[in-house]
Amino acid sequence: MNISLKRITSTWIITILLLFFTAIILGITMRFNQGKVISIDDGKFYGIMTTHGMTMIAIWAVAGMVGVHYLLSRYINVGAGLSKFAFIMTVIGVAMFYVTTFIGHFHAGWTFLYPLPFKNSFAWESWATPMFFWSLTVLGVGWLVWSVGLLVAIFKKYSFSQTFAWQHLTKKDPEVQTPPLVLISAISLVGIVLCLLTAVVILVLSFAEIYSDGKFVNDPLLMKNLIYFFGHTIANESLYLGLGIVYELMPEISGRPKFKTTWYVALGWNFTLLFVLTAYFHHLYMDFVQPLGLQMFGQFASYFASIPSAVVTIISIIVLLYGHRIKWTITNLLFFIGITGWIIGGVGALIDSTISNNIFLHNTLWVPAHFHTYNALGNVLLILGFFTWVANEFSGSQTDPMRKLKLALLIIGGFGFVLMFYCGGAESVPRRYSVYPAEFTRAALFASAAAWFAIIYLLGMSLIFVDIFKKCIRVYSSSHSDSSVA
Amino acid sequence: MHKSLLVFTFGFFCGLNLYSQSQEYNLSEEDRLYTKVENVKILTTRGEMLSLSQMYVREPFVLALVFTRCIGVCSPLISNFKEKISELNPKEKFKILVVSFDTADTKADLDNYAKLFNLNQNENWVFATTGQIPELIESVGFHPEWDSSRRQFEHDALLVGINGNGYIVKKLIGIRNIRAVESMIKEISNEFVISYPLPHNNSILSCFTYDPITGKKKPKFGLFLLLVPAIGTVILLVIISRQKKKKISENY
Ligand code: HEM
Repeated sequence: MNISLKRITSTWIITILLLFFTAIILGITMRFNQGKVISIDDGKFYGIMTTHGMTMIAIWAVAGMVGVHYLLSRYINVGAGLSKFAFIMTVIGVAMFYVTTFIGHFHAGWTFLYPLPFKNSFAWESWATPMFFWSLTVLGVGWLVWSVGLLVAIFKKYSFSQTFAWQHLTKKDPEVQTPPLVLISAISLVGIVLCLLTAVVILVLSFAEIYSDGKFVNDPLLMKNLIYFFGHTIANESLYLGLGIVYELMPEISGRPKFKTTWYVALGWNFTLLFVLTAYFHHLYMDFVQPLGLQMFGQFASYFASIPSAVVTIISIIVLLYGHRIKWTITNLLFFIGITGWIIGGVGALIDSTISNNIFLHNTLWVPAHFHTYNALGNVLLILGFFTWVANEFSGSQTDPMRKLKLALLIIGGFGFVLMFYCGGAESVPRRYSVYPAEFTRAALFASAAAWFAIIYLLGMSLIFVDIFKKCIRVYSSSHSDSSVA
Repeated sequence: MHKSLLVFTFGFFCGLNLYSQSQEYNLSEEDRLYTKVENVKILTTRGEMLSLSQMYVREPFVLALVFTRCIGVCSPLISNFKEKISELNPKEKFKILVVSFDTADTKADLDNYAKLFNLNQNENWVFATTGQIPELIESVGFHPEWDSSRRQFEHDALLVGINGNGYIVKKLIGIRNIRAVESMIKEISNEFVISYPLPHNNSILSCFTYDPITGKKKPKFGLFLLLVPAIGTVILLVIISRQKKKKISENY
């Protein structure tokens, strides 16, 4: 493996984990405020919420990209240049974004729903809105170049139909086999490119409004469609990148033969590409001007986007593990718990995407409950699994101190933390409130309990982080271009 | 070098804000929205001493703040509201509470005032005075100012919709059309009120539009913008998948 790719991967990992650490502290601060343990003013709370949400979405999207980029280099010729370029753009973009929230006090939420960012005359500095959109532009350019570059590298080796494993739909053992990692990465990268092109449309419309001095005004429903297409899809595609990593590494680490793409794996993932793009309609159930047909389509697309990939993944994992002696390491344990978290969160999401339930759950804490489950206990753990594995590769050391303690802290802290969101959601506590109205008598209690659970999660995460950090920095002192450092 | 580039970029973007417009947003109808109305005691023209909470637990109500000496907007406000209600003939059960915010007004003044509009016998209308004017007007965000030269209050024509839990769920300032009155009645009765920002003159791109009069929804050409990224992606994929292939190696 190319040393340059190892070094940039290591730099990404350390940066992502540092930002994750900071964003969790922001999350805990919010929960303590909602729990009335501390008191921060509303403007600051929403600044923290915007920073937390955007940081989390950004780092776990790029973390998946880092993982698949590294692993794809097993099959295709892809160097470190794209990753380096994306890293520089991400650092600049994130720095600009932090200036908008911490100095400019921008706090329109990570979904920056129109027209909120433009109603800023009293809430934040007037330069903060344009700068926010410029920060998104910088991030978007970096990631678009990266995603297109990876797709170009895949298509250099596989034809269009081979990339999407269509030959597996008609033949049991086709001549050219598409590795599951290539299939899932391509599916996810296409989705990410689509999201980023949507972001281009959003940015053009937003800049047109900003710089036309009121001569051009946007339509809220159009902007909401565009923003949720972008936001919902990118959050889901990040998760699929994590799953791609699991398909590649889980058998290898567990001492089992590699996964092969079968007809049902190919079909399931192709379905996912199709439906994940239309599932976002479930964010617009309350927008009555949206035609009824689209609302209903949104409900079924939500089912079809998640069920095939989930069923295929569960079957694949069961076939892999059931009845075999498995060599359990922190990596495959993280994968296993991560898949469990993804499925639990996914069920929560399906409940919410069903229109008759959404009437009650819309914009309640049920929403952060399910997306934190499949992120903090799903995708994050899948990617951490990759980080622990790659850190071992970099250092050549397989040491795994305090494994049980780390996992126990993550599980107790993580599930306790999301459980408090679910309890709030079940009691109709609204999301995005800095302080809960007195009518929600138990909301503050749930919030402070959640903050303590999150501290336990953070402790587990810190132990894992220290280990990964120690192993990753060894790659900088190595001049080997092949194999591990030790 | 990098540092100065960053400083330049930052300065550039800060400078750009000079061009960004600052839009004023009238918040007065949102002031005190979703807060509770002060639970003041009122004396009705029928001689009942009631607290507002006793009223709203029975039925939601619309509060109108007036003074009987008013030569301005108070009378048109009441007569117009009465007219709109009879036009609408709503099925919802609610009361209209007219309270004076002038300490000079007495129960008898309010009684005469009700007679002026032929509402003294109407069960749904309650005319009252209160000894807690400052608390009441503060809680609904109503700020009259006394003009001693004209011996009149400068004030908004305000209707406040209060639901069955005592929350202010809608405020209407000025004499408003029948749709606004209808939505206030629905709002206080906890019914779903569909609302949609009317297309701005400068808003040329929308995906679906809604006509509040006919209730019809129509697709518009802004919808095409939702397809642009998908078309762009397909074109991009076609272009990049046509590159020259390398031979697939044996390792997979
Ligand atoms: C233990 C770690 C975490 C804590 C303590 C935490 C805490 C919170 C809190 C308190 C909120 C506001 C909830 C509300 O009232 O609506 C929130 C929102 C959010 N969180 Fe987290 N979170 C954590 C991990 C994550 C992870 C791993 C992700 C994603 C990968 C994430 C993404 C988000 C997003 C996108 C929002 C919505 C922000 C918005 O509405 O603009 N969080 N989080």
